[in-house]
This record gives sequence, structure tokens and C-alpha cells, in this order.
Amino acid sequence: MSMLYWEDIEIGAKRELGTYTFTEEEIIRFAKKYDPQVIHTDPVAAKNSIFGGIIASGWHTAAIWMKLSIAERQRHATPTTARMGVSPGFEDMKWMKPVRPGMTMKFSSEIYGKTELKSRPDLGLLLTLNKAHDETGALCMRFIGKSFVQRRPEA
Amino acid sequence: MTGILHFEDLEIGRSFACGTYNVTKEEIVEFAREFDPQPHHLDEEAAKNSMLGGLAASGWHVCAMTMRMFADHMIPRMAERGGSGSPEARWMKPVRPGDRLRTEAAVVGKKESRARTDIGHVTFECRVYNQTEQVCLLYMTPVVARRGH
Repeated sequence: MSMLYWEDIEIGAKRELGTYTFTEEEIIRFAKKYDPQVIHTDPVAAKNSIFGGIIASGWHTAAIWMKLSIAERQRHATPTTARMGVSPGFEDMKWMKPVRPGMTMKFSSEIYGKTELKSRPDLGLLLTLNKAHDETGALCMRFIGKSFVQRRPEA
Repeated sequence: MTGILHFEDLEIGRSFACGTYNVTKEEIVEFAREFDPQPHHLDEEAAKNSMLGGLAASGWHVCAMTMRMFADHMIPRMAERGGSGSPEARWMKPVRPGDRLRTEAAVVGKKESRARTDIGHVTFECRVYNQTEQVCLLYMTPVVARRGH
């Protein structure tokens, strides 16, 4: 497949990134290193918290989204990913429902918007709406991702 | 350190130092292998030719490191009830092996809860500086804070 440019990417195109099952061991390992709050690290203390049990750090859920996004890109060289560059950040990250041990989450990414960059005519900004749903279809995480993508060189 | 900070104490403009984080090449590569295996986070040679111009930490890794600083230095000082996301994060400069990061958390917004008299909403702007005082990450983090009385 020939690689596509920013101009070729269509708003609304959606990628299903696959599923991921969170284990308690992994939730605790991530949290001990990066988010050591008892709701993420201590099953006993978490049980007595408002969450009633251990839950994954929101950053862990976001990192798994990234992991599956890269894996999907490597499995299928899809047009929307071919000329992806680095990301300047994200917006509107919401962790609306807890992710608990044993839950299998389904991740997705949809093209949400495109913006020209006055300062960098060789690049365009791509906005993606990224989501994680649980097995019941409830939305647990969402955010707007941003990526720089190469523009079609002028002939 | 004085007493625990409640909603009333977290006045707009107040700023808190949240410690430091030493970034190693090993940790950058380890995080990237597990969560963000792109050449510019994994391989020094490949990274030289990338948009980042050299090996740099995954942006998600920088968020995670910042969370660690906030969790170690800010959360224990507050009567807080957790966060639920971030309206904005900007990865402004690459984070490199050997960088020594520090985080400043400033209160930039607060509002009382309409539904509950015992809590309020406080928004922090976290700025993560490297050792040359460049801001590498800027992100907003709203938390729910308990009221003192």
C-alpha cells in the first residue's frame, strides 16, 4: 500500500485496536512505579475505599491504548498511520469508570479532525478520538489525541 | 510542612514543588518496549533521524513520571478524593536520558461543588521542567478536594 499524506486522511475513519485484559499483578506493578496510591497498589486498603477494590491508574489505561495502537499499526500498514510523526499532546482525557483486575477492555481510535499548521507547512495536525470500553460496552476512558502528519509535497 | 491542605487552602496562584525525577536511558527503553515501541523511544541511532532528533521518552512515560512526582509530593499533603482525567497536556520538549525533571503544581482554578457542601473542585497546572529550566510537559489536572469545615 502506498503511504498516504495528511491530505488523504478522512475524518470519521475508525481503527479498532483490539482488546486487553488487565491483571491485578500488572495494575499493581505499574502503580508502584508511577502512581503509588493505595487504590492502585493495595487490595486491602482499596477494598475499604470508595472504589471497593483495586483499580488501574488512568495513566496505565492510557499507556495500554498506546501499546495497542502501535501494535495495530504494525499489523496493518493503514493509510491513516503511514506518515504519523510525534505528538504535541492530548486534550480532554477522561477516566469515567474504573478499570479493575480481570476486565477486558476494547480500544479504538477515530479520525476526529484535521488542522493546518501555519508555522510548519510541511506538516498537518491530526486529531483522533480515542476510547476504551469495558465488556458491557460502557465507556471507561476517552481522550483527543494529536499527531503531526506529513503533508503532500507541492509538485 | 504545615497541616493537610483542604479546598479552602488551595488558593488560586499557590504553587507547590513536587520533587524531582532522574530519567535514565534504561527506563526510557523499558517503558517504550512495554507501551510505546517506536524507534525514537527505543533506539539511539534510529532516533537521530526522527523528528525528535535523538532518543526521547514516550510522552505517556513523561505523564507517568509526573504522576509519580505528584503522588509522592502533592497528594499526601491534600485532603483529596482523586482525579478523573486531564483537560489538556502539552509535550513541549523531548525528555532525554540523563535529564533531571522537577514538577511545579500551581492552583489555576477552583470551584465549590453545587451538589455537595463537603467538597470542591481544584485544578492544578503542572509544569515539568528539565535541568535547563525548559518546560517539557505542561498539563492540567483537576482534583476533588475536601473542605476543611
